Amino acid sequence: METPTRFASGSDRSKVARLAWQGRIFGAYFVQFLKMRLAYRMDFFIDTLAVGFSLLIQLAVLGVLFSKVRELDGWSFPQVLFIYGFSLVPLGLFNLVSVNLYGFADEYLIGGRFDRVLLRPVGSLAQVIFESFNVSGLNEIFLGLAVMAHASWKLGADFGVIDLLALLFLAPGAALVYLGVFLAITAVSFWVEDKMGLAPPVYNLIRFSRYPITIYSLPVRIFLTFVLPFAWVAFYPAAWFVGGPELAKVALATPLVGVVVFTGAALMWRRGVRNYVSTGS
Amino acid sequence: MEPLIHVRDLCKDYRLTDRREGVRGGLHDLISPRRRLLRAVDNVSFSIAPGEMVGYIGANGAGKSTTIKMLTGILTPSAGEVTVGGMVPWRQRQQYTRHIGVVFGQRTQLWWDLAVVESFRLLKKIYEVDDATYDRQMKLFDELLDTGKLLSQPVRKLSLGQRMRCDLAAALLHRPRVLFLDEPTIGLDVVGKGNIREFLRGIQEREGVTVILTTHDLGDIEQLCRRVIIIDQGRVHFDGELAELRRRVGQSVRLSVDLHEPTDSEALAAVTAGLPVVWDAQQGLRHVARFNRVEVRAADVIRLVVNDRPVQDLHLAEQPIEDVVREIYRQAAAGGDK
Repeated sequence: METPTRFASGSDRSKVARLAWQGRIFGAYFVQFLKMRLAYRMDFFIDTLAVGFSLLIQLAVLGVLFSKVRELDGWSFPQVLFIYGFSLVPLGLFNLVSVNLYGFADEYLIGGRFDRVLLRPVGSLAQVIFESFNVSGLNEIFLGLAVMAHASWKLGADFGVIDLLALLFLAPGAALVYLGVFLAITAVSFWVEDKMGLAPPVYNLIRFSRYPITIYSLPVRIFLTFVLPFAWVAFYPAAWFVGGPELAKVALATPLVGVVVFTGAALMWRRGVRNYVSTGS
Repeated sequence: MEPLIHVRDLCKDYRLTDRREGVRGGLHDLISPRRRLLRAVDNVSFSIAPGEMVGYIGANGAGKSTTIKMLTGILTPSAGEVTVGGMVPWRQRQQYTRHIGVVFGQRTQLWWDLAVVESFRLLKKIYEVDDATYDRQMKLFDELLDTGKLLSQPVRKLSLGQRMRCDLAAALLHRPRVLFLDEPTIGLDVVGKGNIREFLRGIQEREGVTVILTTHDLGDIEQLCRRVIIIDQGRVHFDGELAELRRRVGQSVRLSVDLHEPTDSEALAAVTAGLPVVWDAQQGLRHVARFNRVEVRAADVIRLVVNDRPVQDLHLAEQPIEDVVREIYRQAAAGGDK
């Protein structure tokens, strides 16, 4: 067979066709992942149980707190419960796809798996994210939905189709905020070869996002809104449902914040790839 | 013919951080790290025509892998140009990778816990290989690499040789026009090496694929490549035909002989007189002859010695690739630019 000295670039393909192809690849990666997980069935079962248990404990803590205090800075127990329930949905979505970000520096950069990623005709970020899933993220999503349902019943709220649509719009937007923040932290490892261990303390700060941020002092509120935008992962979007008309408008900015944070992080990632230094041999 | 691979003035610098010792040193490092640049690839230029099979050799740390990683789009060069099939690897990475196949001998690209065939199916989807091509390739691999009975086994249960065969098949599934092989025979036994070499020859004949191969094993080069490029400390020191390399490096085989009776090496030299063989000057039971494989057949030397006197043991060793590289490097340093 004769070799042309110029390769076809394949750029004539339409955007839609490309997207469809990427969707198929994503599906194929997911199926591959499930097959691997099924090889270790017990792990899967234990994971699911452990996450469910820790979520129940957190709920109990909230219950105990509100058995002593009737209100938290003007927020009632069902309102706080709703915010907490909401926070679990984007967190679950995020946890579903973020496992590989934590181990990225170790496994991909130092362990050398990133070479292989760069040798395939799929976006490097998409490959890293979709090479592994954390199925226990589904627990958080379902529990979050249940808690929200229970809280709205206690509130006697009358949510309609619009609110359901808002949820479908706000929860993924909030998940993008999570993904953006942790992607930025992960991308730092392209430049800093030491393990910074920045992710765990930041992950712990997520706790702050589960309460109405009006209970914090102004500097903390500013920090959580603009610097480390965790106020956007639960409080602001949940305010659409329980925060009154003023905050409900703010809630609608959530997906925009998500897109901005994620885009910034993705650009950092891209620069990081250019800066990638492979391991020896 | 227009070259398929075109490399000009390619450079890659790594920034290294030297660490100081102890706790105080660690704190010092935090504030003002000691950085220096290491030039791993230094103004490398070459071009390769379609269908060539080129050996890219050098000692550890010579810059082989770094060059390959720039050619495959993994690393972005510090300076210089690379085009392969008219594409700039690191800039058009996603499109480019559809046209190349890569095998790293030290690392597998297969999914460790799954059956081999699962990896192939996923790669089929990723590279959008149509059913007819997929079936044809799988048949070809079974014929040349005997992969058919390995397909249902999990990758982790394969031997190194079996894994390497599957890895080669995986790299060729999408019928790439260029194949990059980084140490494809490392760690394999003689039979394993033979299999891989035979396959590479076969696939090159059938598909006309262009191959760049890095290796430590001169045997790989001898059996596969007409052309070699030698790199040392990031620079190209030789680029030409293997025969020319032999001519320049000279006596590349070393025959050691253990005799029953101690003797002087001059006696042995007399035995092989007429052949261009040099004996190391020494007394005793063990003697070493050096000669050029191209000029002298080892069998002739051995026959002369064995016919002349009783021999306990014989050992024939190729000059290791490091020596060849060192010799080329020495010549380059001594002879300047001739």
